[in-house]
Amino acid sequence: MSEGSAVAQESAGTGLRRSLGLTGATMTSTGLAFAVIDYIAVVSILSYTVGVSAWLAVLIAGLLVLVVSGLFSELNGLYPTAAGIRLYMTSAMGERKALITTFTYLTSVVLVIAADAFLIGSAIQHVIGGPSIAAYAWIIGLLTFAVGGNLLGVRMAGVVQTVVTSIVLVSTFVISVVAIATVHGGYSHPLGLFHKGVFHGIQALIFAVFLYAAFEWVTTAAEEVRKPAVITRALFIAPAILFVVAGIFSVALAHAVPRGAVHGSAYPQLLLGKAALGELGMLWMLGATMVAAMNTFNGGFLVASRFIYAAAREGILPRAFAKLNMKAVPWVAVVSLGVGAAVIAAVVFATRQWLLLVAVGSVLEAGIYAVAGYCVYRLRRKEVDRERPFRLRFGDLLSIFAIVVFGLLALLGAFSDPSHPSHLSLLPILVVAVLAALSTGYVLCIMPSVRAKAAARAAVARPRRRPSREGTHETG
Amino acid sequence: MAAWEELDEALRDYQATCNGNERLRKMQKDWSKVLHFDCEDNGVKFTMDVDHGEIVSYCQGHAGVPDIVVTTDSETFCDMFWGDLNPVQKYLRGEIKVKGSQEDVMRLDAISYIIWPD
Repeated sequence: MSEGSAVAQESAGTGLRRSLGLTGATMTSTGLAFAVIDYIAVVSILSYTVGVSAWLAVLIAGLLVLVVSGLFSELNGLYPTAAGIRLYMTSAMGERKALITTFTYLTSVVLVIAADAFLIGSAIQHVIGGPSIAAYAWIIGLLTFAVGGNLLGVRMAGVVQTVVTSIVLVSTFVISVVAIATVHGGYSHPLGLFHKGVFHGIQALIFAVFLYAAFEWVTTAAEEVRKPAVITRALFIAPAILFVVAGIFSVALAHAVPRGAVHGSAYPQLLLGKAALGELGMLWMLGATMVAAMNTFNGGFLVASRFIYAAAREGILPRAFAKLNMKAVPWVAVVSLGVGAAVIAAVVFATRQWLLLVAVGSVLEAGIYAVAGYCVYRLRRKEVDRERPFRLRFGDLLSIFAIVVFGLLALLGAFSDPSHPSHLSLLPILVVAVLAALSTGYVLCIMPSVRAKAAARAAVARPRRRPSREGTHETG
Repeated sequence: MAAWEELDEALRDYQATCNGNERLRKMQKDWSKVLHFDCEDNGVKFTMDVDHGEIVSYCQGHAGVPDIVVTTDSETFCDMFWGDLNPVQKYLRGEIKVKGSQEDVMRLDAISYIIWPD
């Protein structure tokens, strides 16, 4: 290839040198969803169910999530880009509402990072002992490690991510099977999801939906897949894998570990490991827990910090968030996320309210699924002629179904707190309301001036450089 | 609509600006990629070869196997290479389409941000 206008021979195709296949996309989706906090979500489900019936909540939630898979497949086909969520939400509901929703939704990523850091710190402290404050030292150590790794530009390659996710899933599955096979006793109420009442059954469903949370983030990889259909297939396969692993884990936990030990525990997976294989099982699950956290930290920091960077470059967040270090990493965004997660983890450590994080996460996730339903419904009317590589069958009906069902689940979840004796509390709705108010306040009151400053900077920063010619139009 | 001659002029300036920026060269020293560009309005295609952060060459047509494929209209490409527009804004409006890893998309934008900070 020579410099200038030399004409090179056309390449035979435009396939990328490296692209994501079905296995990689499926494991990315599954890995984004299966965080350490999922073990705690199973504990939350057990609070509302009897016997081993939690698996039924996981199954029903999985079936509901398949509707979500269809919705996100259609939306991803409409806007196959990492910025898709911004584009279809803006088109469906206008920019301000889209930004308020997106910023609120983004806080769930920080919550999950904080929760995972807290839960791993607690698990390590449980295994190696020491004063309880040591757990917080571990939390800070883990977050510092994660932030440092990100700042140095360390990223898990696709293959490593697939291996890591497989290790976590297989470990959880194997330990669960061993526990079921070796711990004797009956399996009571296998179908008794609503045994404690319909309301409690529905509350169990809310937390079961959380087990699948973030699987849809695989759509941000739309620009690196071999074929657009890869994302669609991954969106349908990942929930099935998650159901198998989380379902069997719920049965094993309910069967092999006494309820009294599970409730109030921040490390139920270690208790199951111990019940299955003694100390070896506990250490095995500690290893799996740490590996799962690698996935969360890698995916969470990457997705959230790049979103913040893009928003700052666009001029809707302060420009400081776009600052890059010498590894081309938006360091202010990464450090801010780390500090935010450390603060949340400290609050959780002090209040012991880790189940509240699950409740808040469940509300945000169910809410975003209802929004996805609205986007599909609205865009089918607004962008009738736009090409849809994937068109959800009975899409109108299913989008309304998603709005109603997930809207109701979000509403009920906002008042559900498994750590409270009555299983009801105003805390989740209060936290969600504060997050939504902060996002709304920012978008309505602060963002206009941030945007105006960015526009003014761009206008005076330098004159237009492109030589003017006849027929050249200004863009930008 | 911008013809290849205009794109060529813009690319020549972009290449000189990028390669002359020490900070950018240092930041991108571990970045070696082949980029394909497609103008969707006039069908012009071109290729850029980046080796350890240095734009070693560019040419009309598609050469080699790309790591990144960027698609937009020729006017946007011209403005982008002259630094007269913020590519992120166009990208977030869906007017610039990119195929490639998120990391490479980020690096591509970082080039514009470093050489033309707002």
